[in-house]
Amino acid sequence: MMKSVNKDDIKTYDTYCYQCVSGPEIVTVTVKNGVATQISPCHRAGEVHPGGGKACVKAFGLIQKTYNPHRLTTPMKRTNPKKGRNEDPGFVPVSWDEALDIVAEKFKSVRAKGALDESGYPRLAASLGGGGTPLSYAGTLSALFAAWGGPIDFSFGSGQGVKCTHSEHLYGELWHRGFTVCPDTPNTKFVISFGASTETASGVCGVKRHADARVAGMKRVQVEPHLSVTGGCATEWVPIKPKTDAAMLFALVNVVVHENARNRLDLAFLKDRTSSPYLVAPNGFYIRDPDSEKPLIWDEATASAVPYDTEGAKPALEGSFTVSGIETGADAETWTHNNVECKTAFQVMLDQMKQYTPEWAGEICGVDVRKIRALANEYLDNAGIGKTIEIDGQILPLRPVAITLGKTVNNGWGGYECCWARTMMACLVGALEVPGGLLGTTVRVNHSARDRRLSVEPGPDGLMYFPFNPTDKEKWVSDPDQRHAGRMLVPLVGNSGWSPALGPTSLAWAAQIDGSQAKMPEMTIPEIWVTFRTNPVVSYWNTDKLADAVAKFPFIVDFAYCHDETNHFADILLPEGTDLESTQITRIGGTKFVESFWRHQGFAVRQAAIEPLGDVRDITWISTEIAKRAGILEAYNTAINKGALSVPLRTKVYDFSLDPTKEHSVDEIWDAACRAASAEVTKGEESDGLDYFKEHGYRVSPFPQVNWYLTPTLIEKGLRYELPYQERLLRIGAELGNRLHEKGINWWDKQLKEYQAIPTWHNFPGIWEDALEEAFDCKIGDYPFWLMTARSMQYSWGANAGIQMIKEVADNIAGHDGFIMNTGRARELGIKDGDMVEISSPNGQVVTGAAVLRQGIRPDCMLMLAQFNHWKTPLAKDFNNMPSMNRLIPMLQDTIDATGSGADLVRVQIKPAGGSR
Amino acid sequence: MTRWAMVVDLRRCVGCQTCTAACKLSNGTTVDVQWRKVLDMETGEFPDVRRSFVPVGCMHCEDPPCVEVCPTTATRKRDDGIVTMDYDVCIGCAHCVLACPYQARYKVTKPKYGYGEASQHEVENFDPAKIGVAQKCTFCVDRIDDGRKKGLIPGVDPEATPACVNSCISDALSFGDLDDPDSKVSKLVESSKTFRMHEELGTGPGVYYIWGAGS
Repeated sequence: MMKSVNKDDIKTYDTYCYQCVSGPEIVTVTVKNGVATQISPCHRAGEVHPGGGKACVKAFGLIQKTYNPHRLTTPMKRTNPKKGRNEDPGFVPVSWDEALDIVAEKFKSVRAKGALDESGYPRLAASLGGGGTPLSYAGTLSALFAAWGGPIDFSFGSGQGVKCTHSEHLYGELWHRGFTVCPDTPNTKFVISFGASTETASGVCGVKRHADARVAGMKRVQVEPHLSVTGGCATEWVPIKPKTDAAMLFALVNVVVHENARNRLDLAFLKDRTSSPYLVAPNGFYIRDPDSEKPLIWDEATASAVPYDTEGAKPALEGSFTVSGIETGADAETWTHNNVECKTAFQVMLDQMKQYTPEWAGEICGVDVRKIRALANEYLDNAGIGKTIEIDGQILPLRPVAITLGKTVNNGWGGYECCWARTMMACLVGALEVPGGLLGTTVRVNHSARDRRLSVEPGPDGLMYFPFNPTDKEKWVSDPDQRHAGRMLVPLVGNSGWSPALGPTSLAWAAQIDGSQAKMPEMTIPEIWVTFRTNPVVSYWNTDKLADAVAKFPFIVDFAYCHDETNHFADILLPEGTDLESTQITRIGGTKFVESFWRHQGFAVRQAAIEPLGDVRDITWISTEIAKRAGILEAYNTAINKGALSVPLRTKVYDFSLDPTKEHSVDEIWDAACRAASAEVTKGEESDGLDYFKEHGYRVSPFPQVNWYLTPTLIEKGLRYELPYQERLLRIGAELGNRLHEKGINWWDKQLKEYQAIPTWHNFPGIWEDALEEAFDCKIGDYPFWLMTARSMQYSWGANAGIQMIKEVADNIAGHDGFIMNTGRARELGIKDGDMVEISSPNGQVVTGAAVLRQGIRPDCMLMLAQFNHWKTPLAKDFNNMPSMNRLIPMLQDTIDATGSGADLVRVQIKPAGGSR
Repeated sequence: MTRWAMVVDLRRCVGCQTCTAACKLSNGTTVDVQWRKVLDMETGEFPDVRRSFVPVGCMHCEDPPCVEVCPTTATRKRDDGIVTMDYDVCIGCAHCVLACPYQARYKVTKPKYGYGEASQHEVENFDPAKIGVAQKCTFCVDRIDDGRKKGLIPGVDPEATPACVNSCISDALSFGDLDDPDSKVSKLVESSKTFRMHEELGTGPGVYYIWGAGS
């Protein structure tokens, strides 16, 4: 809302802050004499925003972010053709005309050669920052990409796959449309959190929901190697050895299914809503009816095997039965069985989990056996089987228990096992996708991100459809279309707009550093690399070598804020408006990342509250100019009309489309988008444009709470969750192996082992230890500490490292001015609080930082918050006490799992560096 | 009578420092001056450790030591409990800085900006009256007074409520009139287990910390 407080010099504007994945939040900007001076909550938005219209600390940094004197406020071009960390780029200011012409000419000349190079890789690559939030600041950049008219390589990640919750993204979405997963916090009573960063990374909605739940009596037990901010807010902290979470989770399953009576489980849910009753044939695939090819279950009513959807059947949940039928494995290999013993999927799970007792897990995890057993039983005690709750007039089950996972827990090896076990724990008590239980929030591999219930479509065998990349001989993507080969190697990433960001991004960087893998196309360098709100040169791994690789990129265009480590290698810097200087709309509400559950959905506006500084321009203007000068304006406008701005400008209900042949101003473009948004929200009744959004800030319609829960949709469609048994993954993994081996590729064999029907424990910490020893010919015992990281609310996703006020307030939280280690262990080593310490990794890299001594961390662990080690970004490059783990983590394929994910984890050794903070 | 007070629910606070940042912007405090901030406290020894987040600032005491030592009456306590600073009267002796048992006061002798030179917003937000004198949290007294003139209720209407309370994303901070039994703060204190910081000093802090539900 724009209103005149004092018509001479003070105005306020509503806009959004979407600096992190848990947004957006709507904030009010106060502008005094043309200068933005204040950020405050938009209390009026509390009528629709679950967090009361408030925004987190990052939003308050936007003022200083805008007036940071280190900002680049004019286009620049590189004058030193030599690129390298130690080369002065020789950036000189140029006019917008010159900068845009250089970019447009490069676009034209490269595009004229074809979208793909001689290796079949896209000539144009682009990288955006994490979590997809940059798109809410990118104006019409996505239309410019669409107008390119061919594949673009998005595989050069800035942390995607290795610093997100990658296993959860893929397996969560497969099993219950949970790209991110959380408890139904307002209704839950008991949560076991394995390292989830709720209080630092779940945004305003998550923080508010958990605070309310704590006061209402929710118990949350935090299981993690160090006592994080989230752990501090929990009821109890259980220190666990890094990467052993799967063992403890298996033990929880063990206690529930082997130490408790069956009637403590939600048997109806297991029988009717999961694939637990499906019978497993001798080769590990379901035994099927020969005619319909449907999986068979054992019908206790008729004492016979019948197709799973036989009306009136009473499925046996456990046991082994003599059955005849067919079994179909990988590549349509089929076996016919007569009177063979087939266990139910549930029975296979029971047998597999029997070995994972609390006594077994306690030793691996370093956790008291009694604690493991007590937690499992407390989970059952709180599950409330049989209880119901009314939501929006519907009576639904109430199962107020959940298990959540943090990023290092479900990234890399062990992620599959952890995700499986926690989802299985939900199934055992019927707590999956019902009030109080475990919920997914959004989808990214499936459609529609607006309402994940719409993605629930019938697939084979009574299960939900999932858009796996094909693994059969005919349709397998045998030649990679992205440099990380995501669609070729990872069936689970699908082929949505997000899929390129979900592939094994470390493979793309590793190939730039080490060259192409055997039997793969010769690795090439993209001829153009566009970067926007991203800084992979410090935010990925093995950063020194990654920087050397980036130095070889021939033409880099960066939409620049200030000089940083990645645009140090750029050829053209295009300064775009910050959050307070540009215009666009974004979708709000519904269910979004982490804990963003709204009872409304619609759109919010980001409006230019102030005149842009210097010669900074709105990114929509920049994109339009490039499109025009590159001769792709019509395609650009057409993409906008089709919905590149998150809302189509023409549907059957309305038409606000732009003339594709003409150039349109920023306000014309966004006015049309606002009209379309108004029409969508009001079902065609209203068509207010940009002025309406500038005045009101947002426009929404109701999104019923019952839409938060997926199970009612599965019931309505007669579908089941694909748990516990992973027949599809088993088949797909085998087929993928066949395809790769046919091509002569054996370097993905370790990853293929993850495709198990029921997960098993592997020595997950040992995978890292062995990989380091093998790669660097070292003795892992010489590196006695596990180095980990944790989210920082003040910094995560915010590109805030150069903002002084953020640094100042973040330093109030331990670990923001050094690295954390255990007080007792430090004393043994003669290290005092504040001492400068050298930390070395087996990869030969060394960083230095100040020791922050805390009791709340295991003695064998160290912690480095967030991602620093800047050497170019003004201010941040002077954070001498604050080391980053990114230089210390090598990109080793052996530490990458089948989803292409890795974890922020490495072994290190330390020695005093002399001096103190 | 009116007794303005703040209630901090320690069960809710997550240490995010949003209040710290909101206070800095709203009051235009210079670099390293934090009228409100959140402490990150650890108690116990591994593995039996607790971590707590404790917002602190001026406690607006009933019997403020800072008032007692002020030689110029620059520091006063109003009838409604707010401890105020009159920058025009303060001579910057800093006795109050030493006397405050809560380390809530600052004295800045020259402005310090985020990046050396003043940025545009720092020019607009700069208040020269705060240089060379003692400064501290005022409970955003101007907002309270201006709001009341408009008929607004501090602690209920954001325009009349301290910026830190408005900004708190976990609703850990509440503000209101402790003499009004129907105010949120009165009800919270009544229904919860609370303490006041260094109560043994007899300062009568106007900030209450909730550490549990009432019996």
